[in-house]
Amino acid sequence: MTEAFSLRNVTKQYKSQLALDDVTCSCESGVVFALLGENGAGKTTAIKILLGLLDPSAGEASVLGLDSRKHSLEIRRRVGYVPDQPALYDWMTVDEVGWFVGGFYPPGYQRHYNELVEHFELPPGRRIKELSKGMRAKVSLSVAMAHRPELLILDEPTSGLDPMVRREFLESMVDVAAQGRTVILASHQIAEVERVADYVAILRQGKLVLLEQLDALKDRVCELTVTLRNGVPDLPNVPGTVLHRELKGRQWRLLVRNMDESQFDGFRIAENIRSVEVRRPSLEEIFVGYMKGEPVPEAPSEVPAL
Amino acid sequence: MFVHVDPSNGIAIYDQIVRQVKFAVASDALKPGNLVPSVRELARDLTVNPNTVARAYRELQAANVLQALRGTGLEITAVAPKKCQADRAALIRSRLRSVLAEARQSGLPADEIRSLADEELGRLETQRDQS
Repeated sequence: MTEAFSLRNVTKQYKSQLALDDVTCSCESGVVFALLGENGAGKTTAIKILLGLLDPSAGEASVLGLDSRKHSLEIRRRVGYVPDQPALYDWMTVDEVGWFVGGFYPPGYQRHYNELVEHFELPPGRRIKELSKGMRAKVSLSVAMAHRPELLILDEPTSGLDPMVRREFLESMVDVAAQGRTVILASHQIAEVERVADYVAILRQGKLVLLEQLDALKDRVCELTVTLRNGVPDLPNVPGTVLHRELKGRQWRLLVRNMDESQFDGFRIAENIRSVEVRRPSLEEIFVGYMKGEPVPEAPSEVPAL
Repeated sequence: MFVHVDPSNGIAIYDQIVRQVKFAVASDALKPGNLVPSVRELARDLTVNPNTVARAYRELQAANVLQALRGTGLEITAVAPKKCQADRAALIRSRLRSVLAEARQSGLPADEIRSLADEELGRLETQRDQS
C-alpha cells in the first residue's frame, strides 16, 4: 500500500497562536480519512500544509510521496481540493469555469467536467454569482473531481448545505472511494463521517488526540451508567481508561476505552454499586467525550492497515 | 432487498448489513441463486463506505451465505436459508437474553417475567388469528 499523505512532527505557529502542535499522522491510500475537531482546532491548517499552500513552522509533510514544500504544484495537479469557501470567479458561467480551470490540467479535463455538470444538473450557461449555495458547492466539487484525482480533499464541504445536496456529496465521495481512491474529509457532520469513514482523527487545540480505524474505535469505547447504592459518590476503580466522567445525583456516566472484560464482573458487583448499564455510544458521543475529557496523554500516530 | 443502516446505533455498519442480508434470506426475501447488489451499488445506495460493504460481503462469503459467481457477482448459496434461520434464532435468543437481564435487574421475579412473556405471545396469536 502506498502512503496517501503523511505529517511528521508538524507544528504551525501563527503570531501568537499555536495552530498545530507536533502532529504526526499518516494514512495509506484507498481509504476515507476523516478529520474532526472544533472550529479553530487546526484542520484547515493541516490541509493547507499538506497541499503546500502554507509552510509548517517545523516538521515535514508529504502527499502521494511528494514533499509538500517542494512539490506544491505537482501535488495540486494530482489532488482534488474543495475548500471550505470555494473561490470561483463569480462573473464566469458554469461552462466557463470548466474551460478556464481545464487550462491547468491535461486534455480530457473539460469533457469530464461537463459530464459532472450534467450529472449534478447544473445550468451550464448561468453565472456563478446567480447560483444558489448548493449549486456553487457542486461546481466546486466538479472542479475538484474533473481530473479524476488520486486523492480528494474536502474541507467541510457540506456545512450549510441542504440534505439533498449533502447526500449527493456523500454519494460522490462513496464513488471515489469505491474506485480505490483516497478521500480526506474534514467535517462537523459527525453522523455523515460515521457512515463513510475508514479512519478518524481528532484534533483538539492543535494536538492530535485520536487516530484510529472507526470500527476499532467503536469496538473499544463503551459508555457505562453506574448507579450507586448510597449517597457517597465514590466510584470504585474502573477496569479501563476513563475518557470522560460526569456525575448527576447518584449516577455516574463514564466513557471508557479498552474495558477489561475479565475485571468488569468484579466491578459490577462492587460494594456501593447498585447497577451498571453498558451501551455502545455513537461517534458523536465519543467525539464529545474526547473534547470534554482530560487531554489524552499520547495519541497513536501509526494505525494498522485495514 | 432493502437494507437500512443506522450508523449511530452501536452495532457496526458492516454487521448491520450482514444481519439484514441474513434476515432477508431467513424470511425468503432472498432465495438461493439470487444476486446481491454490487459493492459499489450498495455503498452508494446506503451512502456508506464501500470497504464496509466489502467487509460485510466477505463475512457472508466466509459464512457460506454468499458465493462468488464468476464474472457476475455474488449469489445466495443453497445452504444459506438453513444457516440464516439458525442465525436468526441465535440473534433473537441474545436479544431476549438482554431483555430478560434488564427485567431481572429491575427486580421483577421470574414468574412475573414469564407471565409477561406469555401475555405478549398470546396477544400476538390473537392478532394473527384476526388477520
